[in-house]
Amino acid sequence: MKNRKLSASARREENWGWLLVAPTIIGLFVLNIWPFIQTIYTSFCEHLGFGHYRFIGLDNYIEMFRNPDFWKATWNTVYFCILTVPVGIALALFVAMLLNAKVKFKGGFRTIFFLPMVCAPAAIAMVWQVIFNGDSGILNQILGTHIQWITNSKTAIIAVAIVSTWSSIGYDAVLLLAGLQNINKQLYEASSIDGAGKIRQFFNITLPMISPTMFSVLIMRLMASMKVYDLIYMMSDDTNPAMADMQSLMYLFYRSSFVAGDRGYGSAIVVWTVALILLVTLIQFWGQKKWVTYDI
Amino acid sequence: MKKFLRGMAAVLLVALMLSVSGCGASDGKTHLTFQIWDTNQRQGMQDMCDAYTAQHPDVVIDVQVVSWNEYWTKLEAAAESNTMPDIFWMHTNQLLYYADFGMLADVTDLYDDVEPGYYQNHFSEISLGNISGSDGRYYGVPKDKDNGVLVYNKEMFDAAGVAYPDDDWTWDDLTEASQKIYDATGNYGYLAYLDDQLGYWAYVYQNGGYILSADRTACGFNQPGGKEAMEFYIGMQQEEWCPDQNFFTQNGAGATFWSQRAAMFMEGSWSLLGALKDHPEMLGKWDIAKLPKAPDPVSTPESLDQDGRACMSNGLCYSTGAHGKNLEIVKDVLKYFGTEEAQLIQGRSGAAIPAYLGTEESWRTAFEEYGDPINVDCIFEQFDYAIQVPYNSASPRWKSQVLDVLTQVYAGNQEVDAGLDKMTEIVNTETAKKLAGN
Amino acid sequence: MNKTSSSRRSYVTTKVLVYAALIIGAAIMIFPFLWMVLTSFKTQAESVSIPATFFPSAFRLDGYKKVLENLPFVKLYWNTILLVFFRVVCAVVFSSMAGYAFAKLKFRGKNLLFTIVLVQMSLPSQIFIIPQYQMVAKLGLVNTIAGLVFPGIVSAFGVFFLRQTYMGIPNEIGEAAYLDGCNQFQTFYKVMFPLTGTSVAAITIFTAVFAYGDLMWPQIVNNDINMFTLSAGLATLRGMDTTNFPMLMAGSLLAMLPMVVLYLIFQKQFVEGIAGTGGK
Repeated sequence: MKNRKLSASARREENWGWLLVAPTIIGLFVLNIWPFIQTIYTSFCEHLGFGHYRFIGLDNYIEMFRNPDFWKATWNTVYFCILTVPVGIALALFVAMLLNAKVKFKGGFRTIFFLPMVCAPAAIAMVWQVIFNGDSGILNQILGTHIQWITNSKTAIIAVAIVSTWSSIGYDAVLLLAGLQNINKQLYEASSIDGAGKIRQFFNITLPMISPTMFSVLIMRLMASMKVYDLIYMMSDDTNPAMADMQSLMYLFYRSSFVAGDRGYGSAIVVWTVALILLVTLIQFWGQKKWVTYDI
Repeated sequence: MKKFLRGMAAVLLVALMLSVSGCGASDGKTHLTFQIWDTNQRQGMQDMCDAYTAQHPDVVIDVQVVSWNEYWTKLEAAAESNTMPDIFWMHTNQLLYYADFGMLADVTDLYDDVEPGYYQNHFSEISLGNISGSDGRYYGVPKDKDNGVLVYNKEMFDAAGVAYPDDDWTWDDLTEASQKIYDATGNYGYLAYLDDQLGYWAYVYQNGGYILSADRTACGFNQPGGKEAMEFYIGMQQEEWCPDQNFFTQNGAGATFWSQRAAMFMEGSWSLLGALKDHPEMLGKWDIAKLPKAPDPVSTPESLDQDGRACMSNGLCYSTGAHGKNLEIVKDVLKYFGTEEAQLIQGRSGAAIPAYLGTEESWRTAFEEYGDPINVDCIFEQFDYAIQVPYNSASPRWKSQVLDVLTQVYAGNQEVDAGLDKMTEIVNTETAKKLAGN
Repeated sequence: MNKTSSSRRSYVTTKVLVYAALIIGAAIMIFPFLWMVLTSFKTQAESVSIPATFFPSAFRLDGYKKVLENLPFVKLYWNTILLVFFRVVCAVVFSSMAGYAFAKLKFRGKNLLFTIVLVQMSLPSQIFIIPQYQMVAKLGLVNTIAGLVFPGIVSAFGVFFLRQTYMGIPNEIGEAAYLDGCNQFQTFYKVMFPLTGTSVAAITIFTAVFAYGDLMWPQIVNNDINMFTLSAGLATLRGMDTTNFPMLMAGSLLAMLPMVVLYLIFQKQFVEGIAGTGGK
């Protein structure tokens, strides 16, 4: 008797569970998961035009792996991650620690660092293009250089990384600051009495204590950087001599699928990109055991 | 505060309902959508539609402007889901792709009840080429035609004591004038930016080369005439009087000319009226001339006995989907768009040079408003030796790849000769693939 | 010199260094905005002069006039408000429901369904554009606000984040309500949901900022500039006249203004809300 009643309430709970997740799951499946499954399928097809496909097996992948532009774009994406993730997070942590010190106008500084977050990326890309302009740009004038930031094959991707870091540093810093503020002050006091210097405190207390927050920031930043597209779309141009050296994987996808209409090939690029993202994420989750401390 | 938020929510909800229901207006009229990509031509298109709906009060036509970057992505996606706009502009580059796939309505017989041979009698051969599918049927009604001209700054020519470009100008004269102007004024001469229709195409053909052979199956970037022309055109960026591609990418050729930092650049006929409107301070300081001719063509194809003259001409057309819901009514609208009356309306609005033979001059009207400050005649005269822009059914596939290689050539990462070979191979491969597939 | 004064001196030095670093950092962060404002008042020739001039010779409004001619700003503002509002409402309602269910209820298939949420977060959004456009076209919603809102009806990030929040609420609270005779939905709606205020605020801000910055989708799904959002309108400016810098900067400023003003008013809520999205 009791048993049946329990299972009836359990069944009710189950129904409620399904009902509550239904809108989200149906939405995600229709809007995102199904298109992605189709993308996987079309990566094995040739696009004949207007959504008609012919199965060609691994040809797209073979063509892709043979194409130097593809490897270039993969490297550009990885390079972009190297430029934005470690450097970006280190800078964000530095800013967070500065803000965590007992300073006046903390709110004001925080407001300023966070400001780019609320600005439309389109506007951000535009103003930086003006600043980076190789001929009349203010940056060259301040630095006393004559670098074609956006069209030089060596600096183009660095320029994009600077803009990306500039616009995300406030967000990362705010997250890290929240982590820093949760650290128990007594830990520092205790280690001071033990005679530990600031630097040792940083490595022995600060870093381990905020490592969980660092980990979230790292995962988010890494995913965003692997998928970078908007900034490159806004900052570059088809006739940019540095195009091959600044296009990311997702930008290459856009040009293959949307501009050239080669959707099968474009889909293969997407599958590769998603595989890379998953791989990197898995490595991170596996690696976190080595450096992320969840409790002290 | 809570009440205010709730009130706001209610207002927004109503607004959403209205915006959703707005599209299914049930006034008993036929609502048609007409999709174009050029904001500057919106008024001209609207005038034409108004003229039609005045005679057909049961039809409403909504002109929508989509920017060029998204136009083709959307049109293709719409074609796949059978939700194409009722009427839309079609471009030469894309027409074969759409037509060969059966996406466009065949309008060959549209005027059979009006006049046999209507198309042949009233439109040029290039215009007909622009509307023909691979099967030789017509998939659109010709809209306009264009070509590129040399725009120049009179003040800079005067300051350097150089005579204005005339009909006999060759590319050698152009480089010479550029050098003189640069030496005398410090401004750039000719802006040889990377572009096809507004760049190297014309000189390739003038010089006896070709981008695509007459049957559109073979590419000629690396043939003698083409190669020499490309080397010359790309090489201009090495001259001190011409900025390099880094500069053009960041600053734009047009903006450089209009901010009076250069003496010459090539511009399309379709942009001239907009330039007059946008740069009132330049009125009277600039003019246009025919493109220079090749000084010493490698060879002259039989079709071109014009001693090194050529210009590239393109034209758009009005098309409709093959499976549209209102096909009969839409065809009637298209039929009207191809009449002398409609083409005159388009011409007078300044939107573009009408394709209908004999109505071209109506385009002048728009310039008279500004006191006829530029030599529009040279555009009309250039049509005498215009060449249809090169394209084939594989164009959408090879265009961006060719541009990629060419960009590398301009960047200096690729030798010109090797780059041209590579570009030729890309076009030939994609074309062969397309031909094999059909 | 005794020990306290030397530590006092090192304390002052540290302070000076901290302030110096903060001020330099803030200057770098502010500079692009400053440059945007200055450039928007320049003439086109001034904006490209070599060497660059810092201040405009006079505060000219030509850039603003030109951008107002080219873009229907009132409509863009209104469309953006509608888009942000509906995206936020959808994200909060559906993500709260799902987040609660994933955190507190037992049902078969829960782990598999939650995996869908996680997978979605790692997919690049550009690949959905064509399929989603076709769905909207079939529904007849092209060129409407509903079409704009469409892909944002559900939010994987919202679900993920709110699930974390609900997991942080002790089970006893829900059980007490259940014993009082509430069913699962009432427990969620009347008892649990009101406890998630801070997180809902965070999701609101997050969703709003992203809906506002989205630039591809509005350009694809809506045909007419009158149906665009601020970001999409701004992106089309670039195509019109690539290099009229004062006009581009004036447009950027006008497009940024509403969000920046909102941010300055609610900065505390903004920053603290976003700080909560980092997870613990």
